[in-house]
Amino acid sequence: MKRLALILPLLALAACNRGPADAPKEPPKQAEVPKGGPPPIPPYQMRAAQPEGNRLASGRDAKAVFEHQCGACHLPGGMGTNLLTKQRMLAGEPPEMGLLTNRTDLTPDYVKTVVRQGKNAMPPQTKVDITDAELDAVAQWLGKKK
Amino acid sequence: MQLITPPRISPQQFDAALTAFAGVVGTDWVLSTDADRSAYADAYAPGPQEQWPAGAAIAPANVAEVQAIVRLANEHKTPLWPVARGKNLGYGTAAPRMAGSIVLDLGRMNKVIELDPKLAYGVVEPGVSFFDLYEHIQREKAPLWMSVPGNAWGSVLGNALDHGMGYTPFGQHAKNLCGIEAVLPSGDLVRTGMGAMEGNHSWHLFPLSFGPDWTQMFTQSNLGVVTKAGVWLQPAPETSLVLTWDIPNEEDIGWVIDTVTPLKLAGVIDQNVFIPSWLGKIVLKGQRKDFWDKESAIPEWRVQELLKEHKLGYWQVQIRLYGDEAVNKAKANVIKSAFKRKLDAPPHEGWWRTGDPVNQYDPTMGVPSAVALQMGDWVGGRGAHMGFSPVVPATSEHVLGQLKRSRQVIADHDVDFYASFTVGGRFATNINMLMFDRDKPAQIDNMKKLFNALIDSTAKAGYGEYRTHLGWMDAVNDTYNFNNQAQRRLNEAVKNALDPNGILAPGKQGVWPSAYRDSAKEGRA
Repeated sequence: MKRLALILPLLALAACNRGPADAPKEPPKQAEVPKGGPPPIPPYQMRAAQPEGNRLASGRDAKAVFEHQCGACHLPGGMGTNLLTKQRMLAGEPPEMGLLTNRTDLTPDYVKTVVRQGKNAMPPQTKVDITDAELDAVAQWLGKKK
Repeated sequence: MQLITPPRISPQQFDAALTAFAGVVGTDWVLSTDADRSAYADAYAPGPQEQWPAGAAIAPANVAEVQAIVRLANEHKTPLWPVARGKNLGYGTAAPRMAGSIVLDLGRMNKVIELDPKLAYGVVEPGVSFFDLYEHIQREKAPLWMSVPGNAWGSVLGNALDHGMGYTPFGQHAKNLCGIEAVLPSGDLVRTGMGAMEGNHSWHLFPLSFGPDWTQMFTQSNLGVVTKAGVWLQPAPETSLVLTWDIPNEEDIGWVIDTVTPLKLAGVIDQNVFIPSWLGKIVLKGQRKDFWDKESAIPEWRVQELLKEHKLGYWQVQIRLYGDEAVNKAKANVIKSAFKRKLDAPPHEGWWRTGDPVNQYDPTMGVPSAVALQMGDWVGGRGAHMGFSPVVPATSEHVLGQLKRSRQVIADHDVDFYASFTVGGRFATNINMLMFDRDKPAQIDNMKKLFNALIDSTAKAGYGEYRTHLGWMDAVNDTYNFNNQAQRRLNEAVKNALDPNGILAPGKQGVWPSAYRDSAKEGRA
């Protein structure tokens, strides 16, 4: 039962290609899932545009940088969010802890290390992907969320 | 990762080159620490990343800087490895074929230069990702759809230039390129197609030129650095209908192909039809150990159990129609009657109409996502994948032959079978996904043996790969063997003429300039 609960949030993914638009007209695969069912697949999340100005200067808009540079995987429904949701639930936390922006246990140094060195499915990010100034801003921002 | 310099370049000469490059892009955009080199290594390397080490990376901001860098590279004899965004996961990521090459990272050149909703095309720089272009289209409220690959984290141009595929009517991405601007190995700048005329209005519309057109010369090639290109887009359809069949048995793929191909050739089906085997659906449901807890390949009896438990067919076919509702209905009737002749079960049908929400995980709807990379979690640990990707004629005879042959080779190596066929027209691409844990050397060794055996047996049967990882570029090039490798000899003659110092991407796709021919024996997986 525990394992089933863990698999729940990912079942929506298993139904890849059968999204909200199509779902009502198809025999729902979700029928196998006990009541409640998997959460619906969130709609595509628009990222903030890359902030204007010098990417090497300090004082970058952390939220916008996070969305733009990290959002392909770490917004709701993203690949990183899905894998972290599973991981956090295994650790006994609620599924919303899969979103980095909900985490309260990160430190700036930890964020920087994972971004630059990669971890599990996440490849290391280059300084073109995210500059040191941008990473400083994002790491401080994510690391201070309490 | 420690510094490895290119052949015949001392650390001091290498430093002098980096100083010269910094004069062009600024010191902050010359990335040459050990950590930088590691960040440009192949994240999914089959074996030690040190087999394909970058010497450094440089990130120019515009065409003039690219030209200056290319000229300096000639002067300093430091070869460059251009990447658009460097997210070619499974094929080498951003890492160079030849050790010590300097990655020319074009990620900062990320402008959408033009978007034309009337004639349905865009003009983009190489650093524009699928996410960037998608969001630009949404912000402009342009009635345009894109074609996206499984992993849309990468570059629109990089993917098209490396012959990437998607699953819409615009799924053969290299064919969407119309009018390229490229820096030649000399530093000179050319525009292909009608762009050869200054100020020509049809540059990104007419796919040819006056005289030979060189657009495709820059795909999978080391003959230039593409700095912008026109990309054809799909006019947003009013409606879309998806028909989904679960196909019960392995051998059914034969009649499925013989049903789909004629409909595709006749224009009833416009999209590239993606037909994944069952494992493609299971990999997103959990980890391998949840379904089979032994290292050995999942045995057939367990496969059959899993198909029953998860109510899956051996294959799944999804055919998506795009456009006017009445036309889609009419086409659907033709397609359903064709399938009905072979399979009683009706398809699941899903209509989408303008204004309805779009499933962000559905690549046939042109929405970018990186969720496909989640399959890395299947094997656990630092999961990675490689694709063995031959092209076969889209008939049952060839597809079943390929299936039988590759299945046998894969089974002989005790590896799970996970394949897909994508019907792109007269041909089908057959992607065999090979997943491994980067921290299990024995597993990687086995994958490498398997990969070599697949290349060998497939070529002997008369089929070739259209794309491959760095470590097999030479091996696959060798299989293109008509008239004593005439194609490679032609490519290398052109390469040597245009790039006498061999400074652009030596070894890309197995094409080596004379200056670095000696290095071809290294970096083979």
